[in-house]
Parts: sequence; structure tokens; C-alpha cells
Amino acid sequence: MIWLIALALLLLALAGAPFFALIATVALLGLNASDYDLIIAAAEFFRITDVPVLIAIPLFTIAGYLLGESKAPQRLVRLTDALFGWMPGGLAVVALVSCALFTAFTGATGVTIVALGAVLFPALVHARYPTRFTLGLITTSGSLGLLFAPSLPLIIYAVVAQQLNTTPPVGVDDLFRAGLLPGLMMLVLLAIYSVWSGGRRAQVRVKFSAREALAAAWDARWEIPLPVVVVGGIYGGWFAPSEAAAVTALYVSITVLAIRREISLSKVPQVCRDAMVLVGAILVILGCALALTNYLIDADIPGQLFEVIREHISSRFVFLLVLIVFLLFFGMLLEGYPAIIILVPIVLPIAIRYGVDPVHFGIMFLAILQLGFFTPPLGMNLFISSYRFDRPVLEVVRACVPFFFIMLFCVLVITFWPWLSLVLVR
Amino acid sequence: MAEANDPEVGARARGVWYVLHRAEDALLTLLVAALVLIAGGQIVLRSGFNSGLDWTEPLLRCLVLWVAMFGAMLAAREDKHLGVDAIPRMLSGLPRIVVRLLAQGFAAVVCGLLAWYSVGLVMLEHESQTIAFAQVPIWVTQLAMPLGFGVMAIRFALRAVGVRRNAASGAAGPAGEA
Repeated sequence: MIWLIALALLLLALAGAPFFALIATVALLGLNASDYDLIIAAAEFFRITDVPVLIAIPLFTIAGYLLGESKAPQRLVRLTDALFGWMPGGLAVVALVSCALFTAFTGATGVTIVALGAVLFPALVHARYPTRFTLGLITTSGSLGLLFAPSLPLIIYAVVAQQLNTTPPVGVDDLFRAGLLPGLMMLVLLAIYSVWSGGRRAQVRVKFSAREALAAAWDARWEIPLPVVVVGGIYGGWFAPSEAAAVTALYVSITVLAIRREISLSKVPQVCRDAMVLVGAILVILGCALALTNYLIDADIPGQLFEVIREHISSRFVFLLVLIVFLLFFGMLLEGYPAIIILVPIVLPIAIRYGVDPVHFGIMFLAILQLGFFTPPLGMNLFISSYRFDRPVLEVVRACVPFFFIMLFCVLVITFWPWLSLVLVR
Repeated sequence: MAEANDPEVGARARGVWYVLHRAEDALLTLLVAALVLIAGGQIVLRSGFNSGLDWTEPLLRCLVLWVAMFGAMLAAREDKHLGVDAIPRMLSGLPRIVVRLLAQGFAAVVCGLLAWYSVGLVMLEHESQTIAFAQVPIWVTQLAMPLGFGVMAIRFALRAVGVRRNAASGAAGPAGEA
């Protein structure tokens, strides 16, 4: 019977049924089998209002979408270009840094590729970077920055992990700190590759100009305080994540709508709509997952799974290797947020039994997810890039190969070297 | 992008649907504006003037639920709920119709159930009359759930039988989802 239901749900998933409906079904069936009144499913969903940090999700999303619609991406690229453009491979470093910063604020939703790619792609091609390198660089950069505060996936992982009452508990600010070094490692390794790859071929290079740097900084005067105040505030411990989100949303609304006026007020409903469609889609999945998580814990599903897995895998090393492959596959399939919400309640309790720290697990999980965004054949960013830059998907896949292996190396380092994630936390 | 896919923005553009949809958009914009202003204003009040109102926190959490349900309703309207859509995209003709009927019909049934149990939750809370914040009882804040799931059920059902065109069949590329 249970296999029949699982098969039916799998087929429905492949037919394109929304994730939240599938999760809700499992929760309803499970609660029903445990003789609960099913109103409890609705009550669990309503617990969305019990998680204070969730306020950060709509606030950061609207801020990100407003920034994406404004001319902030161009200014960001101009500024980083003025700062790094003189280096060999400098423009590639510009792409990496600006994409990482932008993704940290907008979440890896493809917004980065669409908003920044429009500026960076022509600029890189114009500077005679090979098209293939450019394509791979931008597709990879589309999910870079996932590990930096205040990225939404970090917040959502913390929220989901908190439902599981892990020891030690998982604080959002713990994750923000834990992601810093692994994120920097990715950035630095990709930058080294880009400089090496870019420096070999003679690019059009510019000299550093203090005048241009100042002009670019002045041009971006309203945006510069944002990462400084928000990121600094979060890492410095002055702001709780939800407070940082509130400040960001208000500040961005005022600067974009009232001071810069780069988005006309008549366009605001459209931007709200686009942003909240994403928020709604994520939060209904989360709400349904709240109902499911409780059932999973009640029925001790992770415990039973652990018993089964332990019979086959005794060492933590092998477990982690298997986990990487497993998460890479599902990360590619489930496209980010659903992957966090669906997989964490099942996989995290098992990982903890293998002695993995929940904060370290979060960073590792998100690093693998980040890789999944451009893992062929289904990685979402491959398709966004292919569509955005009008190139065949296969060409994008080939272009991503060197970047894929660099990021895979990072994932392995992050997975098997917990110190890197935990040194700033514990 | 979404505008172009909206089947209503065509010959029948100015019908009841159009009015309802614009009202829905306007409400959502108001909710988001309220969220941004109250959340931001609260911080300014607290840090700048060392004061604040004690009902803003529960109000904000309630706004998150309302924004989420309205966003989810819109996602159902624009066919943007997260799911694996690779296979439906590849199909055409009768297989496509059958697959759509199955997936969207299933979603409609689940939303209907969730709406039903949400009504149950609201009725339970209505009896206890607990206050969420200011003078507003909890059951009022919960109304977003039956409303949201109810509207989503209708939208999925309409798409299941093909009244609403599947966005996947339109010109929307992957960037449309971004």
C-alpha cells in the first residue's frame, strides 16, 4: 500500500503536480493514519505565523526584485569594474564579485543571471573573453553568493532545521557566520581560475583610474551603504536577520522609488506580484512541510531510515560521499528552495546520527545545492542562461565544465573539512 | 512577461476576471507596502526613538501569512508553483491534456481539502475568540487560509480542464519563471 502511494505521488510529481500539494498529501495521509483530526494539518500550516524570522523572506525578496528592476546592477558592475578591472582577468573577477553580492541579496532564483548577465555578458565578450568562458562564468556566478548573508536559502535552512530541535540548535546568525569562509573559498578559487584563464589570453585591459573609481562610487552612493550596513550589521551582531530585512526593504524602497525614481510607481504592482509569487510559492511549501515535519518526527521516520542505512553504511566518510551524490541529484531536480524544505527534515536527523554538526551540514547542503543549480541535465541556471543569452543548452553545459569541477572541489573541501564552516561559529 | 501569458488580456480582457485580478494585484501591493512600512518603521521607532508598539510584531507575522497566501493564489493564476515541469513541457496533444488533467486536478483536490480543514480551524478559533493583536481575534487572521486555498483550488481545477491555458504551452521561456 505504502509503495503504491509512493509510486502514485512520484508519477504525479513527474506529471508536474506542484510540490506543496504533494507534501500536503503525504502529511494528510500520515496524520490520518496516526488517527489525528486533519484540522491539525491546517493548524500546523498556520504555524507560519509562529516563526518570526520568516518575515525576512518577503522583505528581502521585494528588496531584491526592486534592486533587480532598477539600474543598481549596472552601477554595481561599474563600481567593481573600477576597482578590479585593471587586473588580468579583472572583468571576470568583477563578474564573480558583483554576482556574489547580488545573489546574497536576491537568493539564487535566476534573478542574478537575468539582471546582471544583461550587463556582464556583452561587457565580457567586448573585452574579448571567449564566449564559452563567459557563458560558463555567468552561469556559475548565478548561484554564487548563496553562502553569504543575508541569502534566503541560509535563512530557510535555519527555519527548517529549527523545527527539528537539533542539538546544538541552528541559529540564522550561526549559518551566516558559517557560510563566510566556504563562500570566500569558492569566490577565491573561481577568481584564480578566471585570472589564470583570462590572463593567458590577451584581453583588452584598462589601467586603474582613481577618478573613475571615485565617480563610480559616487554613482553608487545610495547602494554602497546597503551591503555595509546590512551585511556588517548581521555579521557584527547588531541586527537580527528579520531586522536587517526590514531595514533593507525600507531603504531600498525609499532609494529606488523616491530618490532615484528608476521604477515608476505604476510598475510597482507588477514588481510586487513577481516577487510575491515566489514568496507565496516558497511559503506554501514551507507551511505544508511544517505539517509533514511534525508527522515525520512523530513517526520517527528519520530514525527508521537511519537503521536501514546503517546496515549498509557504517563509516561517516562513505555516508557523506553518498550524501553528496544524493543531494546533487535532488538539488538539480528540486531547484533550490523545495530541496531545502523537503530534504532537510529527512536527511538532517540522519546526518546528525552520523555525527555531522547541523550548522556544518547546512553549509554543505547549500554548497551542493549551489552546484546542483548548474548540474546537467536539469540544473535550472543552465536553462536560464541558455534562454537569456540565446545559446543552445548543450553549449552552456560544455561551457560550465571547468567551473563545475572547481565548485565540486569546493563542495568536497567543505564536506570533509568541517573546521572551515565551524571555526567562526563554535 | 506574465501579462503576455495572461489569457484574460486578450479579447475578453475587460471582463469580470480582469476586474477581480486587478483588485487582487492592488490588495497584494497594499499588503506588501504595509509589510515594508510597518516592519521598517518599527525598527526606526525602536532604534531612533526607543519606543514601539507591542502589537506590530504579531501584526507583521499575520501579514506574512496573508502575503504568502496572496502570492500563492497568484502563483496558481500564473502557473508558477514550483514543481518538476520538464515532462509536461515535452508533451503535446492528448498526452499533454491527460497529464495536465492529472497533475492540476490533483492540486485542485488537495487545495480543496486544505481549504476545508482551514475552515475547520477558523471555526475552532472562532469559538475560543483568542485575540491575536490589538482588537483582532486570531480567527480573522486565519481567514487568509480558506480564502487562499479555496481560490487556488478553483484555479487549479480550471487549468485541469483546460479553461486556463498552461503557461508551459505559451511563449514563456525559463526566464519567465525567474
